[in-house]
Amino acid sequence: MKNPALRGFPTSWRHGSAAMLGLGLLAMSSGLAQSADAYLPIVMPITGFMSVEGGSQRNGAVMALEHAPGGKTIDYPVFDTGTSATGAATALDKALSNGKPIAAAVTVFGTEMVAMMPVAAEYKVPLLTISGLAKITESGNPYIFRFLPNDREIKVAHARYVVEKLKKTKIALISDTTAYGQGGFALLQEDFTKLGVKPVYEDSSIAPDTKDMSPLLAKVKASGADAIVVHSVAAPMALIVKQAKAAGITLPIINSSSIVEPTATALFEPAELNGVCAETPSAPETRATPKIKEWADAYKTRFGLEPDGLALGQYDGVMMVLTLIAKGAKTPEDLRAALQKETYEGVAMTYKSNGKGDLSHDAEIVCWDGTSRIPKVVAHYAGADMVLK
Amino acid sequence: MLSWLLSGIRLPLVLAAAALIAYALFFASPYDMRILTLCGIYALLVLGFQFVFGHAGAVSLAQATFFGIGGYITGIVATHFGAGFPVTFPLSIAGPVLLAVVVAVPVLKLEEHYFSLATLGIGLVVLLLAIQWSDITGGTNGLPGIPSIELAGFVLSDRRSVLYFVWGLVLVGCLISYQVTRGLYGRAFHLMREDRVAASALGVNIAHLRFAAFILSAAYGGAAGALMAHVIHVVSPENLDLALMVTCLTMTVIGGRTRIAGAILGSILIVFLREWFRVLENYYMIAYGVAALSVLILAPYGLVGALERLRVLLFGHSPRPNPPQVPEQAPQAAPAGEYDHILAARDVTLAFGGVRALDGVSFNLRDGEIVGLIGPNGSGKTTLLNVISGLYVCEQGQVTFRGQDITNSPAYLISRRGVARTFQHIHLVDELSALDNIALARAGIDGAGLLKSISTIGSDRRLERARRIALAAAERLGIADVVMEPCGGLPYGTRRRVEVARAIATGPALVLLDEPAAGLNEQEQLDLAERIKTFAADGITMVVVEHNLVFLAALAERLICLDRGKVIAAGLPDAVRRDPAVIEAYLGLGASEPLPIAAGVP
Amino acid sequence: MITLLQLVINGLALGAAYALVALGFVFIVNATGAVNFAHGDLVMAGGYVAFGLGALAPIPAIYLLPLVAILMFVLGVALALLAYFPLINRPPSTVFISTLLCGIILQNAFVVLFGPQAHAAPPLLKSGITHIGEIEISIQAMGTMVVAAILIASQYLLFTRTQIGRRLRATAEDRQMAQAVGIPAFALIASTFGLGTALAGIAGALLANQFFVYPTGGIPLSVYAYIAVVIGGWGSIAGAVIGAMIISLFQVVVSAYVSYAAATGLLYMTLLLIFVVRPQGIFGERVQRRA
Repeated sequence: MKNPALRGFPTSWRHGSAAMLGLGLLAMSSGLAQSADAYLPIVMPITGFMSVEGGSQRNGAVMALEHAPGGKTIDYPVFDTGTSATGAATALDKALSNGKPIAAAVTVFGTEMVAMMPVAAEYKVPLLTISGLAKITESGNPYIFRFLPNDREIKVAHARYVVEKLKKTKIALISDTTAYGQGGFALLQEDFTKLGVKPVYEDSSIAPDTKDMSPLLAKVKASGADAIVVHSVAAPMALIVKQAKAAGITLPIINSSSIVEPTATALFEPAELNGVCAETPSAPETRATPKIKEWADAYKTRFGLEPDGLALGQYDGVMMVLTLIAKGAKTPEDLRAALQKETYEGVAMTYKSNGKGDLSHDAEIVCWDGTSRIPKVVAHYAGADMVLK
Repeated sequence: MLSWLLSGIRLPLVLAAAALIAYALFFASPYDMRILTLCGIYALLVLGFQFVFGHAGAVSLAQATFFGIGGYITGIVATHFGAGFPVTFPLSIAGPVLLAVVVAVPVLKLEEHYFSLATLGIGLVVLLLAIQWSDITGGTNGLPGIPSIELAGFVLSDRRSVLYFVWGLVLVGCLISYQVTRGLYGRAFHLMREDRVAASALGVNIAHLRFAAFILSAAYGGAAGALMAHVIHVVSPENLDLALMVTCLTMTVIGGRTRIAGAILGSILIVFLREWFRVLENYYMIAYGVAALSVLILAPYGLVGALERLRVLLFGHSPRPNPPQVPEQAPQAAPAGEYDHILAARDVTLAFGGVRALDGVSFNLRDGEIVGLIGPNGSGKTTLLNVISGLYVCEQGQVTFRGQDITNSPAYLISRRGVARTFQHIHLVDELSALDNIALARAGIDGAGLLKSISTIGSDRRLERARRIALAAAERLGIADVVMEPCGGLPYGTRRRVEVARAIATGPALVLLDEPAAGLNEQEQLDLAERIKTFAADGITMVVVEHNLVFLAALAERLICLDRGKVIAAGLPDAVRRDPAVIEAYLGLGASEPLPIAAGVP
Repeated sequence: MITLLQLVINGLALGAAYALVALGFVFIVNATGAVNFAHGDLVMAGGYVAFGLGALAPIPAIYLLPLVAILMFVLGVALALLAYFPLINRPPSTVFISTLLCGIILQNAFVVLFGPQAHAAPPLLKSGITHIGEIEISIQAMGTMVVAAILIASQYLLFTRTQIGRRLRATAEDRQMAQAVGIPAFALIASTFGLGTALAGIAGALLANQFFVYPTGGIPLSVYAYIAVVIGGWGSIAGAVIGAMIISLFQVVVSAYVSYAAATGLLYMTLLLIFVVRPQGIFGERVQRRA
């Protein structure tokens, strides 16, 4: 059967382009030339549905790498994981085999982290992440280092604020079906129970693309809840808040950190955020301390965007590693050992490993008062306050 | 052996395979081995998909679901029950197969879009379960900690051994695919996807074939999914989502939907494209999409098809195989018992919407008769043939063949009992030779089942016999000299004769010819009429639908005339053509001349 | 108190938007037989265009809709040139895949052009809620229902009552025959893609105010359009609208009584049940195969 589309494509074109393609592919698959002092690849979701978060953390990592202390030059190519476990494993594989990495700055996405862990163990290279997924430091893998609090810890802060500070006793607990949502939901359930306040309404079945939240809000109202706790990614969280306000629901809404990202608050009119709070490891956009202000302004100048806690956490983590490299860490093993015992004064907080690879133990609760999109810090939790027996 | 290697694109493929193997053995880094392992897993997935999408021609969107279920079974059984590979692997194949069996009955009956969406719907339900049933499946976070493959005390923990193992299984998969598709059974698939109507009319049990294809696709999918779980050590809902289905579809279409080499080429190309483009960050998927779309547009039959066309362009066609040496007559199916009339129709009625296409049609045929079926356009002639051959179901009435009621029988059963037919519009496979087209007649009747095909060693005897029978049929139609040429290039008259030969090759007792003389010149018509008479002399009853009364005059012993679904006249040709009702039907009221059969004959 | 009636109204409001999405989809199906699985991404494209225009000129979206429609028409023609015409003689599953690949290209182009985060398009008239008796309904939802009703009615009339509609149906039935009688089939097919995409774009512009627009938002919409058209009967305009309503009613009304997941599961099970009981969908016709 004749293919009309092929008319006019001379045979020589096809041969020629095939040859070019072949050469190009050969060139790309060979390793990159190494002339820098160290090689620290970035392996994060640049495409796919976690690409907002992946972009933020990438920016934070890049900002640190561009200012490596001690005059060191670092080679830091970026590899896209595509928000996929299989993609993440192969991307990390490619990154770690492309040179002699001392560490890799990697994804915030829990499912991808799980797929990356065996690869890190195989190559024996430390991974620097900001993923909150509890199990990545609870499985005995010594190569995982995270620079945002373990979800387990931060959810304690979240639950404590609602129960102890706001004195709420009838919680409506809601999450979406993403990996982030399901993980947080399970932890919050546990924490509320430990605090003696079992939620009166629970729903973890909201798909992240759900549009109409009125059935959910109807059920929340019917349950007689006095506070709404939401743990989900930004879009459904924003819809819940907006539609609750539009429906005249005046209950306090205490969210997970997704809403704190500037790209999320941009979706609101300031008045819609009145009475809304969230937990967050840090909120650099509040510019609460001079150190944070300096960093946040530099970030805004460099990337043209307001920074978020993800970028700051990743920045601090990579900067800690670069500082250790400047102090003499040469091999991945040197670095791993140093990360387990050293203390580091970062921009957001002080970082020290608890022996399992969790280096961040600080969190804040921020609230909006309806006058601005930038929230205010209303509570601070750290260390032992973020552990519930 | 040398001629086998030199035909088609086998030689470059073998060389490429050897180069790839050498690379994998001596030059591959651990990363390369991982990528090649993934290629193997996807190749297995695509090989399975080829059965239902390529060979059976049905767009199933459940392939990723089978893959995911296989992975989840491995994950769940390994992590919750601690079972090893020898237990989890067979279970990972059995699970999807079981699901396929359960949904096959309602789903395979559906047409095209409905079938696709039903398979998509099943996939969405399974995805929902995987996300919500987090106690078992780990939810969206997935199930981590899936161990490496352990067989007979050996743990395949290093990448090299996993690579070899996976590709070993791919080879097994290729072998099974090859066995299923190379023989007469495989030909039945080809006919079915080219032309469902002709396939039914030749005795191919389409429902069986689609079922077998669906089951095979599920088995391969589950196996591939299980292997993926062991390689990545984690299984999550992404293993069965739409994105994976899109990848599978893309690999299949780009590689070549019915070619084993296509499955491997397609999976290798897509995996490598992705890896090469990954450094482009934001533009990574755009580049991948553009590249894949370009290949799709430029290579209509996939890469394998494009390579073959390139070969023909550079080196000319491969030499044609030889025809079989000795022809063999097709055996006629024996009748079940005694009967009066070979075909009896009683009050057959069928309406389409408000139009009565057939209205109380009744007639009898005797053994060895040649009966002409005439009537103006739209009188129901083809509809009647469709009812007799089982392509349409009549609403009222009864059709009996050799004493057995075939009114509600499916077309393929009626064909196997001994009824053959041709069509108004020629239904042949252009790319196959005339001989192979005729040999397709035996696919439904002699084609062995799935298991027999897989276990056949050496050349397929059934296929060879089919070819011998085809040669005999070709000789009876006088086309034995051009029998090895592709049908697409044959002149129209020859193609008509190929179709008739195909009908004869089934060994029928009754043949229904639908306008066999249409488009033939006078010489060809006379020749065809003579040949039809020889078939009748052998005891085959012939029903010939025709407008060409000259052609029928030399041939028919009796005529039956239809008008608007009713039989308005039946009997000896002379009487029928003088019948006023017949004249009115053809020429309108007021005509008084009998229907002419040739110029100058009163 | 949110009553059943309120939920039904909410469901119909969402369903109106889904109906517009399904409408564009069935339009392309009707005229070409092609299943355009990039349709949801085209909806997002419309949302992005509305967002982009709204950023340039902060006026109510009702004034932007004509421009959105025109730009989306051009995009639709481009899609036809890229994904349909080169493959016009191939089996339909090839077009299925080419549209999927175009969808992937679109999604990632959105990320490059607008960033991966969600954005909101300007409201049709203005934001806010209005009351009809005890029922609350957002002004945006009301506007969506009105626009959808107008477009559905006009598309129905176009297809069934006008000469152009007849020609479109002829082209879909048998393209070569249509060309043989002088119908400019290629121009009509390109216009069909354009028009179907314009409808998708308007749906996107309407949805993007209340429900945001983001790069991966189109994928579920393509699935919903496909489901709606199959439930309603392949090619039936009324069926596509009913199918879309069924989907939104499951999402809004049924999920008020069971969980969202259960409601979604019930929707899929209903779909599968329809296949068993009435495979041709609500308004589809059973077709006998002709020899």
